[in-house]
Parts: sequence; C-alpha cells; structure tokens
Amino acid sequence: MGKTKTIRLGNRLRYPITIVRLLKSPGDTVKKQDALMEYSFKWYKEVGDTIRGETWEEEQTTYADWSSPSDGTLNAWSIKEGQVIKQDGPCVLIDEDCSHEIQFQGLCAICGKDMTEANWAAETRDTERAPISMVHDQTNLTVSSTHAQKSERELQTRLLESRKLSLVVDLDQTVIQACIDPTVGEWMKDPTNPNYDSVKNVKTFQLDDGPHALVRKCWYYIKMRPGLEGFLKRISTMYELHVYTMGTRAYAQNVARVIDPEKKLFGNRVISRDENGNMYSKSLQRLFPVSTNMVVIIDDRSDVWPHNRPNLVKVTPYEFFKGIGDINASFLPKRQDLLTSAPSTNGVKKTEKPAEKSAKATAAGKDTDEVTKEQLEEQQSALEKQINERPLQLLQEKQDKEDEEAEKATGQSDDSASSRSSSPPPQRHKVLLDDDRELEFLEQHLTQLHKAYYASYDQKKTKRAIGEDVPDVGNLLNNLKAKVLRGHHIALSGVLPQNTDIYRSEIGQQITSFGARLRSTVSKEVTHLVVNTAQPGTAKLNAARRYPHIKIVGLEWLAQCFTEWTSVDETPYLYFKEDANNVGAARQGEDSSDDSDEDMEGVDTGNNAPKTPQPKRNKLQLQLPPRGDDDDDADDVEDGLLPDEVEEGQMSPIDGLKTFNWGSAEDELAEFLASGSDDDDDDDEDMDEEDEEDDEDFAPPEDSSSSSSSEESSASRKRSRSRSGSPATRKRKLEDDGDGEEDGQEDEDEENSPAKRIRRMKSARGSSLRHQYEAAPDLPTPAVTGDEDGVEDKAEEDGNNFTDLDEEALAADLEAEFAADLEAEFDMPPVGGYGAVQYKRNLPAHGLFRPRNLVLASAGLMVYGWYQLVVGVREMNEMAREKMWARIHLIPMLQAECDRDLVRRHLADQAREKELLGENFKVYNSDRYVRPTFAAVPQHVTK
Amino acid sequence: MFFLHNLERRVLLHPSYFGKNMTELVTTKLVKDVEGTCTGDYYIIAIMDTFDLSEGRILPGSGMAEFTVGYRAVVWRPFKGEVVDAICTSVNQHGFFSNAGPLSIFVSTHSIPTEIQYDANATPPQYTNHSDIVIEPGTHVRIKIMGLRTEVGEMFAIGKIDGDYLGCLQA
Repeated sequence: MGKTKTIRLGNRLRYPITIVRLLKSPGDTVKKQDALMEYSFKWYKEVGDTIRGETWEEEQTTYADWSSPSDGTLNAWSIKEGQVIKQDGPCVLIDEDCSHEIQFQGLCAICGKDMTEANWAAETRDTERAPISMVHDQTNLTVSSTHAQKSERELQTRLLESRKLSLVVDLDQTVIQACIDPTVGEWMKDPTNPNYDSVKNVKTFQLDDGPHALVRKCWYYIKMRPGLEGFLKRISTMYELHVYTMGTRAYAQNVARVIDPEKKLFGNRVISRDENGNMYSKSLQRLFPVSTNMVVIIDDRSDVWPHNRPNLVKVTPYEFFKGIGDINASFLPKRQDLLTSAPSTNGVKKTEKPAEKSAKATAAGKDTDEVTKEQLEEQQSALEKQINERPLQLLQEKQDKEDEEAEKATGQSDDSASSRSSSPPPQRHKVLLDDDRELEFLEQHLTQLHKAYYASYDQKKTKRAIGEDVPDVGNLLNNLKAKVLRGHHIALSGVLPQNTDIYRSEIGQQITSFGARLRSTVSKEVTHLVVNTAQPGTAKLNAARRYPHIKIVGLEWLAQCFTEWTSVDETPYLYFKEDANNVGAARQGEDSSDDSDEDMEGVDTGNNAPKTPQPKRNKLQLQLPPRGDDDDDADDVEDGLLPDEVEEGQMSPIDGLKTFNWGSAEDELAEFLASGSDDDDDDDEDMDEEDEEDDEDFAPPEDSSSSSSSEESSASRKRSRSRSGSPATRKRKLEDDGDGEEDGQEDEDEENSPAKRIRRMKSARGSSLRHQYEAAPDLPTPAVTGDEDGVEDKAEEDGNNFTDLDEEALAADLEAEFAADLEAEFDMPPVGGYGAVQYKRNLPAHGLFRPRNLVLASAGLMVYGWYQLVVGVREMNEMAREKMWARIHLIPMLQAECDRDLVRRHLADQAREKELLGENFKVYNSDRYVRPTFAAVPQHVTK
Repeated sequence: MFFLHNLERRVLLHPSYFGKNMTELVTTKLVKDVEGTCTGDYYIIAIMDTFDLSEGRILPGSGMAEFTVGYRAVVWRPFKGEVVDAICTSVNQHGFFSNAGPLSIFVSTHSIPTEIQYDANATPPQYTNHSDIVIEPGTHVRIKIMGLRTEVGEMFAIGKIDGDYLGCLQA
C-alpha cells in the first residue's frame, strides 16, 4: 500500500559522523522514533580552569542514536557500518505504511493518524506533506502535490473524453446582478409601476448572514442576465461549469440554486469567498493547482485574476440595477476598467472607499486580520446603506422628474436623453432596462474557443498519446483575441488620467490583448482615436483631425469591439458626427486652431444651429464657463486665441468701461479716502486740539508730558520727530487740512469752559515750542542727539520738578474739571503725568558709618573668623592623634585583663566538668586551644 | 459509544431571576448551556436529571449567584474502531464527507472499496459501482472510524467503508 521513501540524514547532525552500527536490517518493521542506527561524532570540549583562564580543548567522541522519522518497513540502507559521512545525504529507504497524502483537519484521511503531533525524529511536520487545498467547498481537506497531479490528470482525461473544457464563472455582474434594495421588492408587487415588467423575472431569496441587526434576514434580489438560462444550457455541453464568487458561501449557493435549480450545471462545484483564502484576488490555482491548460474564466473584472489573465474572457459588467454595482466587491480594489464615457448617474461609490482604505492600511503595515475585520464592517455598512437609502427609488424619482420636464419642453427632450445615457432609452419612464446582449456574443466566443481548442488537440493527438501535453487554452484565446483588432493603431484621449502609463493600464492591456497597437501620441500610423465623449482632451483631437484617415470614435466603440470580438463598424460611434454634417464645408478652409475652437463649442453648448463663424465665436467668449480641461496643450491653444479676439475688438469684455461714469467713481473714491483720514482725527481729536500741529498716532503720552514740563516735552517731541522720519513729511499735507478743520470747529465752540481755556493756553505753548524746534531744524543725527538731550535734561532738572508740580497745583481746579472731562471718555495717564521716579537711596556718605569703614570692618571680621577656623581644625587633629596613641599604649593592658578572665573561666569550666563527669575529656580531635564559648545570662532570667 | 455520565457544572444566575422558582431556572439554564455541546472528548447529548443542587453563592462584584449542580447526562464518545451510521453531506474526487450526528467524518477514496468509483459526470457527483450502490449527498452510510482528532469544542474523524457490512445502507 505504501510507497518507498528515501530518507535523508538531515541537517541537524554534527557532521562528519561515523556510522557505528546499523540496528535494523532490511525487512524489519520500523516505527516512528525507533532507533535505526548508531553513529558517533567527534567534537571539542573546553576543559581546565575557566576561572584562571587556563583552558584547553580536548577531543571527545560521542555516540548517538538516529531514529526513524516515519513508520513502515525498512527497505534498504544507503550507508554501511564504519562509513564516515561528511554531509547530509540519503540514508535509508523505507516502505512507508502511509504517505499521508490526503489530510482532513490534521488527520491523515488514509490511515487516520494525527498529523499535528510534533516529534524529534522528523525534520518537517507531517501536515506539510499535504499542503494543497483543491476542493471547492472545503478548506480543511488538503492533498499532497503528487495526489493533486493525479486527480488533475483524471479530470483532464475525463474532460478530453467528453470533449469539454472547464469554465470558471463569476456571478456578480457577469451572469447575474444582485441587489438588496427593498424598492425592487415593492416594484415586483406593484403592477402599475413602470419597472414592473423589468423586475418581473427577478428572483429572490432570504439570507441571514449579516452580523448586524439591520442586514439580518434581508432579501436578495437576483436579476439574471438576459438569455442566461439558454446560454448556460448550451455552454454546459462544451464546458464543465464552476462558480467562483467573492460572495459568501451561503450567497453563492443560493445564487447557484436560482440560476441552476436542478444542480445540473454547476453541481457542487461552487467556491466562494469563505473557501477562497484570499479576500482580494481569485486564483485558478485554488481549484486547478497543477495545470490551467483547459480552464477558461468569464469574469467582469480582470484585476482580480492577477495570475490567470491569459485564461480570462472579460465580460462587460452587467448593470441592471443602476448604480448598485457589485454588492460583494467591497474587498476588491476599485475598478478602473469601466468603458463608459458618461459619468455614472448615481453617485453610489461604496465600492471605492474600503478598497482605498485597505490599500492604505496595508501600506501602513497593519494586521491583515484587522483590515479584513474593518472591511467586513465596511461591507455591512454599505449594505445597510443600500437598504436605508434605496438608491433605486431615488433614481426612479429623479427619472420621473426628468420625464415631466421633458414633457413640458419637448424640444429639449432629445438633448437631455442623449446626455444622460449613451443609448437613448426606448421607454422614457423606466429606470431598469433589460437590453443586455452580452451573453449572445459570449456564447459565440466560447463556442469558437472550444472548437479551436479541440481542433488543435486533434491535430496534436495524431502525434502524441492522450493526456500528454494538451494544448493551452490561454494561448488559443490569445490568438483568437489578437486577430480582432489586428492592424489597428489606437490612441486614447481623455480616457486615462494624464500621468498613467497607458501600456500598463487596464484599457491599454485590453487593447493590446486584442491585437491592436497602442499609441501614446497621435501620428500618421494611428488609425483610431478613442475619446471619452464626456470630457474629451483637445490636443490629441486636434492632432487627429489633421489626418483624414483617423477615425475618432467614442469609448463605446472599443467596448463593443471587446464584446463582439470583431472590429465593429465605427459609424454609429463616430465622434462629432453632427458637427461634421453641419459645419462641414465651411470649416474646410480654416486652419486647425479654428477647428478646435469650433469643436469645443459643439461639445459644450450643444448648439447645432448653422451660423456664421464670427458671431458664434463671440457668443462662445461670453457664455463659456471656465472649463476644467485636463490637457495642458489644450489650454495653450486657447490662450493663443484670446489676444486675437481682443484685437478684433468686436465686443471686448472691457469695452463697457467707455461708457462708465468716471466722475461719480472719483467722488466715491475721494469720499472713501476722506473717511479714512477722518477716522484718524477722531481717535486723537481731544488731545490733538491742544497741539494742532501734532497729528501723529503716538501723540497722547507726549501731550501729558508737555503739560507737566515744557523742557521735557520739547525733548520728547524731538525724539518723536526723529522717530517718525519720512511719515512726517508725508503727513504734512494732511496736517494742514486738519488745521483748517479744527479752526472752524473751535470758532463754533463756546468759550465758557475752563477746559477750553487751558487747552488754548497749552496749544499756544506747544506752538511756541514748535517754533523753537523749527528754528533749529538741521540736527545732523536727530535720534542720537535727541536722546542725549533728554537724559541730560532729566538729570539736571530733578530739582525743578517741584516747581513744575507747584505750578500745576495752582491750576488744580481747572485741571480737576479737565480731568473729569477727560476720564469720562478715556482711560489715560493722570493729568500732569506720573510722578518722578525716586532713584536715590539714603546712605550716609560721611561719619563713622561711611561705606569705606563698613567695608573695612566686615573684611576684618572675616579674616578673624578664618583664622579661628584654621586654629580650631589644627587643635582637633592634635586631639585625635593623642587619642589614637593613648589607645595604642593601653591595648596590651586591656588584652592581658581579657586573657586572665578567659583563663579563669576556662579553669572554672574544667572544674565544673570534672565535678559533673568525674573526668576531663576533649571533645575536639586536636591539641589546639579552643576558646571556650560563654554567654552571660542576665540575672532576672535565671531568677 | 453512549454513556450515562455523572457530571458537575457551575451555573451562574442573574440577580433578576432570584425568586421562588430559582432551582427550576438553574436547571433550565443548565440544559440550555450544556446540551449539544462538545467538551473535546465527548458530546453531551441529553441531560437525564439533576441532583445535588448546591446553595447559591453571590459572587462579589457581579452580583450573580453561583450554583454548583451535579447532573446525569447521556454522552456520546466516538472511539477509534467504532462503527457508526452517518449521512453523506458532500462528495468530491478525494472522498466524501458525512455527518454522524454532530461528528463530521471524512472517508477518502483509499478507504472506499475499489469497485465504488467516483463519477464526476453525474449530477450531483457521486460514488457508485454502476449497479446498486450510489453514494451522494443524503445517502445513509455505515462507517468505521479510523482516526479521531479533537479541538476545542470540535471533533473530526476519518472513516472507512471498505469492510464487511460497511458502506451504503440503502442498497
């Protein structure tokens, strides 16, 4: 039953080894961990004194057993006794009882032994013998690679006998579309609903696989792609069908039951996300670990099959429930291969977010478990959202509204319809349209492929035996596809973002896989320019228009080619077809830049009425909103055009200024400026009235100082002048104006207030000071001199402060009134300014306690203190020395006393012993004197 | 093999249940908690009766009452070499899965008589000897257990049907 296995010695031994004895001979039954032979090896041991570092190495020989890593019968030895083995190599042949090729949950399915047990004899665990999981509905059943090969070969012969191939079918958006929007259920019950006919054939089932309360027990609505039943029936005669979906197991089985109620087509060949083992991609190796030569995939996404692209027949995604997308795609990366030019009508972008998040998370090195958990939650919330928000209902409402509008203005109905979707809907008031024809083409392709495969197989069969080297369906598929667009040179415009590598993009790869050449720029060789009709790039478009042979087509043409696998007629997909009809001849003579201009106009305003080029352009200038153009070149073209327009001067946008009322504008400006200066005046008004010449912003402190001391104020004014610098000259004009104004104001004022009087007094004083200042205007460096002056002034005239204060006291009553007046409105320094700072200290400069004497006295005190300290330290040292020597001399006397005491005790001890025992005997075995141990027992204890 | 086994378990009772029929509640809770579980070595099939219901002890902190209950239960412990009747659940090219009550048993092609072959073309796929024996999902099969492995709360078994009186029961 078992088969012979060559067992190696293993890397764990200490080579070189010498075989000492073979314990078992061929024919013996061996058990796991039995000793099979004895070997010896030499090694060096470090001996000697490790503490002193006197060590050396000594050669040692050690004998050890070598145990069997598996059960069975010993077949033959590859080694013999006495042999010296330098390195790992084959050692023994054992006929194993069981090679554990099929394992179920850690158990060998053949012998029933537990494979998870670890032991010392085997280098690898037995579970590693069967690493491949290749069963659809179980992940815990694993097989060895040889067994996988065997079963795959069986499968191959079976398929070849029945002349079939394997077809792996994706569910979501390939053969069906699922949605959980409860709106569908309502529509199905309501025959009056416009969508009733469409949703009549929608199948439903209930599933409670949602962990959240809301999604639990929700209804799934499954819409089969038109013609699916017949398609599957016919295809199943040529292909063995497998289901491979990213949905859950329960979902997959329910859908399989919906599309194949008798289980004739798929049987139990259903694999779902739960068994896939990977949340992000599908792999044929999961089902066909050895050879994928006979496997074809149909799927609406190519990016989930990273390793099996050759076997993939890509299908246009089936979008029946608009805007729903794939309800199981939350885990997958965002799809980038959409071949529709119009931006999706419904903004349900639930599939994008989690994928982006996952990308970010993996980039950040997060735990994959964590990510998966997050995504599960994400999916749940997306499903909840679908149930709550009911995107389909919203869509229908929107549609109804649009219909109403369309009925009102029938003339515009064509426009709105064509802008909403690429193909005009046959019935206006319906959201769900069931007009998909993909499966017809798909059936043709698969039939074609099947024929080609068996043609090639028959051709080969004549030369070779069955089962050997079957043709690879991937190659055939590539050949078939490569014929489709052979000879086409295709350039893309407005399809991909600018910085993407078009050759590696999804669309690019698809184009090349269909045999066309992809061009990044428009040149003579290019035969087709594919544009995104929603937002075309202008640069390539312009370039393409220079060549009459280049066909400019919408993305739909490409999609149709991919669907039908033929180079379809471009006419229905030609871009700017109506433009060509309308403007046609008129445009012939014009240069290319004008052409582009026309084109943009055609796209953006949708105005098709034939007009002469000139007024049209003007209209464009006025109406065009700023376009978000993704082509830089296009912008350049536009920029170049602009100056021309202005020169022609038909209706420049700034022409209107000629009729502008300049007078009123100037008035307004003046008013605005005046109001600014008024504000300044208002700020300082009350103070500035005293010093009219002073319009500067930092006036207030100066004013107060000027009231207290004329000298100081002059000094500070000098400072402020020097500080203000050039602004002063600038403000000169304004000051004059201010003077005039204030004069007028003062005339109006009544003169009875004392505040006014004193104000005038001060202003007179201030103006006189100003005259003084202006008399000596040319100070070389005003800032420095000003400062010095100020300091000196202050120092000299400390005494004069009192006189100033007296003067103030005289005018106290007036000042009080004035202060009250002021403080009612402002929080300013007190009238008369702050008092002078007392900076002198009262230290006696003469007499006994003059500073010199104080310093000398403290110095003398310190010297005395230090002297005392030194004397004290010396005395202490001497005392310590004396004490030490006294002890040294005393020690012999003390010791003698201690000895005498000991001897006395010893003798007393001996006497007591003799009295008790009658005889003295030694407890110790030597003549050495041992000091008796004694302890003095406190009196009160013995009492 | 089935056994009558004396077992003990601590049952926690929420304070809101404290009252007259507390013993009854404890028993119900015990049945709910225990019946149909797998301890690792055996499955507890049914509880016969309870005896020795201890006094409740209030756990500090949670306020739950803890009762120690002795009970008698019917348990099933599958043994290596035991013959059991099972129902086939899934068939593939490597063998078939079957359930003997709660126990999942896999029978590999090596342990199926050689005349019974895998037929992938049948719908659903089946093991058949092309005359009277058909093993497909739902078929009753008599299986001898060859190996057992236990995990926490789960048991797995490997079985065989090549032996006397083993195999399909509907023939």
